[in-house]
Amino acid sequence: MFQTFRQAMTWLHTWFGLLLGFVLVVVFFFGSLSVFDREIDRWAIPESRFAPQPMPSFDRVLRPVFESMQPSRESVDLMRDRVNGPMPEHFDVVRQWSAYTTHRDPVLGLFAGYEVPNAKDPEEAVWGERTIDPRDGRVLSDDHFKIGSQFFYPLHYSLTLEWREIGYWIVGFSALMMLVALVSGVVIHRKLFRELFTFRPDKHQRSVLDLHNMTGVVALPFHFFFAFTGLVIFAGIYFPLTETQLKPLHDRHERIEAAETGLPHDRAGVAAPLASVDAMVAEAQRRWHARGMAGDVGFLSVQHVGDANAYVSVYRAGTDRIALTGEGIHFKASTGELLREDPPATTVDSVNEFLTGLHLQHFRHWLLRWFYVLGGLTGCVCITTGFVFFVEKRKRQHARQDSRGARLVDAMAVTTVTGMLLATLGILIANRLLPETSPDGWPGRGDLERYVFWGTWALAMTHAFWRGAPVARGERNPAWREQVLAVGALAVLAALLNWATTGDHLIRTIRAGYWPVAGVDLSLLAGAAIAFLVARRLARRTPPRARTEPAHV
Amino acid sequence: MATLTASTSRSAIVLRSAAAVLGGYVFCWGFIALAVAGLYALGMAFHDAEHLGAILAFLLYLTAFCWAFVTPSLRRAWLALAGGGAAMAAAASWLQHLILA
Repeated sequence: MFQTFRQAMTWLHTWFGLLLGFVLVVVFFFGSLSVFDREIDRWAIPESRFAPQPMPSFDRVLRPVFESMQPSRESVDLMRDRVNGPMPEHFDVVRQWSAYTTHRDPVLGLFAGYEVPNAKDPEEAVWGERTIDPRDGRVLSDDHFKIGSQFFYPLHYSLTLEWREIGYWIVGFSALMMLVALVSGVVIHRKLFRELFTFRPDKHQRSVLDLHNMTGVVALPFHFFFAFTGLVIFAGIYFPLTETQLKPLHDRHERIEAAETGLPHDRAGVAAPLASVDAMVAEAQRRWHARGMAGDVGFLSVQHVGDANAYVSVYRAGTDRIALTGEGIHFKASTGELLREDPPATTVDSVNEFLTGLHLQHFRHWLLRWFYVLGGLTGCVCITTGFVFFVEKRKRQHARQDSRGARLVDAMAVTTVTGMLLATLGILIANRLLPETSPDGWPGRGDLERYVFWGTWALAMTHAFWRGAPVARGERNPAWREQVLAVGALAVLAALLNWATTGDHLIRTIRAGYWPVAGVDLSLLAGAAIAFLVARRLARRTPPRARTEPAHV
Repeated sequence: MATLTASTSRSAIVLRSAAAVLGGYVFCWGFIALAVAGLYALGMAFHDAEHLGAILAFLLYLTAFCWAFVTPSLRRAWLALAGGGAAMAAAASWLQHLILA
């Protein structure tokens, strides 16, 4: 089909790169933001602006909250057509209680799963969720939307398209295409080492290509690694073998494992009380300490709550190593007797934990965290310059042929790049301007914030297509500069609104050393400064004369 | 950039892409299935076999995807990827049958 190997690779790079680039730039950008998702949560929920807290006492703080929980309405509604008969009003059989925290969380997320009587698949459960202040057990309003960890983060890996996990599949395919683009990009260029040091500014199309190559090559290991580990993390979704073809083998393994570990797979059906979980946590910490490991609890769960087979699992927060480990210790819930200590990881397990851990970064290392952001943003620059190069290379030819291709791609590039930035700023601004509780009959506050996000993005798209006519004549779309200016203005506005609505201006947050909020504000202002510089340059680089110049390359 | 030869019709592109995407997927499915069943039969822990299979499979998918565009014969691409994948999946099911028997 193609005459040479390089020709095939070039075709792959151009067309798959272009098509999936629109997804990839979103994945890279929200991945970069997710590195600081907890900090963005603090910015968005002012009442949670206090220091990170350790896992609180289960017996005094967590247990009363767990006992008052019920599954969420959304979860019950989702389950409704997967049950034979009506759903109960009240769910009494608790399958699991769990609490999860990290070294960056002031507030604590609690989760509870309930068995559903007459469920078509008895393994399925309905779920409830609470966020509490771990200092006193006070429940935070469900309407306080965690923009960082509950929106930007899921956007990164699923585009928040939950229907049949379609979003995961789109992102997964894009990640595979990222790997293909990297391999084919290397094949196309060959002079890999030279690209590292080549940037010729003010050469129009050539500068764009230099920047594309440089950002691609400089961060090549980073990009390859993250696209690859992202796929590995969700391998179970992309290749659901153990739930389909190999389910019999998987079930056999689970039965053997339950027998070996002594952790019951099912309820006994006999009621039993719950002993002091705090004592079990203390015992777990004593055992970690004896092995010379930091003893902060990251994940705590009670399985088969209220049953004689109930057991408590205590996992360590892996802040001191890259690998995603837990060193779980399990106790019999009714007596506190030790059931099992997870054995040391096998070699394959260690490799897998290292790969996923390096992507998910539960460790404590702020400099490395910033390198992740930088790597992600470098990816965004690489993809964006790819779009620009695609358009610049073709727009004059398309103008002569009266083709609309370049105009369409350019408008899509404006939409996904600057439009995405505007949508991000839109949700932050909405978060600061919307009333604490929505008026009666309105959607919840979190829903409204999301609507503003998608609404802003749709507006940016309309603007990009509406202003795109010059591209069809071989000129630049003025929407680029206009949206970049809007990004600068909205970023400043968001930082100012944080000051106006909470009183936490930069001088105060920096003085207090409260970096979660100061960091978001500083990033907004730095982003605004870059946006204004870019807007100036965009204005300078379209003098009327240049428009009729022929292409240099 | 890409100057396509006259023989590069739209349908050739579509078939090629389908071979790379779908054929590559079937091939990797078969590979993981055989790796899990085979390594488990050889005594590796179930989840280890699963993880190792998946880690290698994504690198394999990348290679298969590029190869499908490079290899001259479209038929051979389909045969090797989809056929090879189906054969490995069948072998995995047979192994599973033996283990469970």
